[in-house]
Amino acid sequence: MKTRVLGLVALVAVATTTVIGLFVVPADLNQGDAQRIMYPHVASAWLAYLSFGVTALAGIGWLWKRDLRLDSVALAGAEIGVMFTFFAIWGGMMWGRPIWGVFWQWEDPRLTTTALLLALYVGYLLLRRLTDDPERRATRAAIVGVVAAVDIPIVHFSVEWWRGLHQTATIASPDRVLDPAAPGIFILTLLGTVAAFTLTWMYLMIRRYQLAQVSLAREEAARMDLLMSVRNAEVAR
Amino acid sequence: MTDAGFVIAAYGVIIGGLGLYVVTLWRRIRAARKGR
Amino acid sequence: MSALIIEARIAVAIARKDAVAELRGRHATVSTLFFAAIVLLLFGFALGPDSARLADAAPGLLWLAVVFAGVLAVNRLHLLETDDGALEQLALYPVPRRAIYAGKALGGVAVMLVLGLVVLGAVGVLFAVDIGSAWAPLLATVVLGAIGIGAVGTFYAAVTVRLRAREVMLPLLMLPVLAPLLLGAVKATAAALAGDPFGELGAWLQLLAAFDVIMIVAGAATYGYLLEDG
Repeated sequence: MKTRVLGLVALVAVATTTVIGLFVVPADLNQGDAQRIMYPHVASAWLAYLSFGVTALAGIGWLWKRDLRLDSVALAGAEIGVMFTFFAIWGGMMWGRPIWGVFWQWEDPRLTTTALLLALYVGYLLLRRLTDDPERRATRAAIVGVVAAVDIPIVHFSVEWWRGLHQTATIASPDRVLDPAAPGIFILTLLGTVAAFTLTWMYLMIRRYQLAQVSLAREEAARMDLLMSVRNAEVAR
Repeated sequence: MTDAGFVIAAYGVIIGGLGLYVVTLWRRIRAARKGR
Repeated sequence: MSALIIEARIAVAIARKDAVAELRGRHATVSTLFFAAIVLLLFGFALGPDSARLADAAPGLLWLAVVFAGVLAVNRLHLLETDDGALEQLALYPVPRRAIYAGKALGGVAVMLVLGLVVLGAVGVLFAVDIGSAWAPLLATVVLGAIGIGAVGTFYAAVTVRLRAREVMLPLLMLPVLAPLLLGAVKATAAALAGDPFGELGAWLQLLAAFDVIMIVAGAATYGYLLEDG
């Protein structure tokens, strides 16, 4: 019930901030209407990182406490994180084409880092699908999730260097909206969108966690059925 | 494509994608609960 | 202190076991060397025959060939253990898990070192790159790169070795993690070959070393969980 209320609030918040971002806030003087893409883009990127942080922490928690509920949290974080990572990349590309002239800017460390992030966690989800035993799955996933999280800063750092060491980039930064000199209404819209998306994220995490728990219970029931049928067959014989 | 086209493409996929994910999530939960 | 020495001895013993198996059966090294050579040849076809362009691309081609062949090499190294349940046996030994990890990684690093040096030589010959004049930094790059691929590979091979879709999953999980290593190694190689005009070589070698240390620590800390129920 509480979750349903949260979902409703999130829905209203996303709808409101979308309308504000698209129609109410004025277009940026330099970037024009394309600037509007920044609101959901930045919000998605923030939630992608938050999700993967949750996945890594929940993975460590599983290794430590051996509680499968933590593994369900890790799974929820990874799946929802992959979705938001895709949104962040998609938004970045749609912003990049009109502003930079290209969909993909290799000189932008964040774009390349995020693409690798997507690859890391898609691999994580695939690995989970390939393992049937819940505890083995949790352990493998936890370890891969932790190493992926450790890899992210190294990737970011190396890509930043890769670009920075031989030339200074003179590209417009997606972060212009966070510039202290930017008009307050831009910053307010961004914060509002981030808040609305974060509420949605919370709702999705709860629901995805519940699904993971139900699936686990079903797996367990199926295993018990199998066990019972084997035993019954033996008794009959 | 104009700037507006890219803005629509970005918002469409992100907001639409969120909606699609919510709906499939509901269906998955319902299917999982029923299947028992 | 003595505990550390014992752990090191265990690691060396495990690595030696792998080396003996390798020398008797030549499972990993020879086939992966051929694979790397074929990759180089195909790169030549894909980018050639302009020799100036090939020489420009040489650092990237070198490391792509090493990384791709490395995925095959580490996969085969762990297969050795699953064929007759040897990994389960290894897990039963009452020794620290990080010593087992160190031993397996040592074997992987050795194979990667051979692979890296041979491919480096092959790149020098095939793409007319003068590797003799910058041998010291190139050697350092190959050593650091081999350690990184060996450390990461040992760990991911242990994650995937019992999976049905192992051949796909290992590169899928491992290659994105290796991205910073690839980047650093290519940059260091290019800088070394050009005589380090911007003085950036040291920075890239440091990046490689940092990557190696972080991945070794992560691998040693988690390998035990994989042996237990991975």
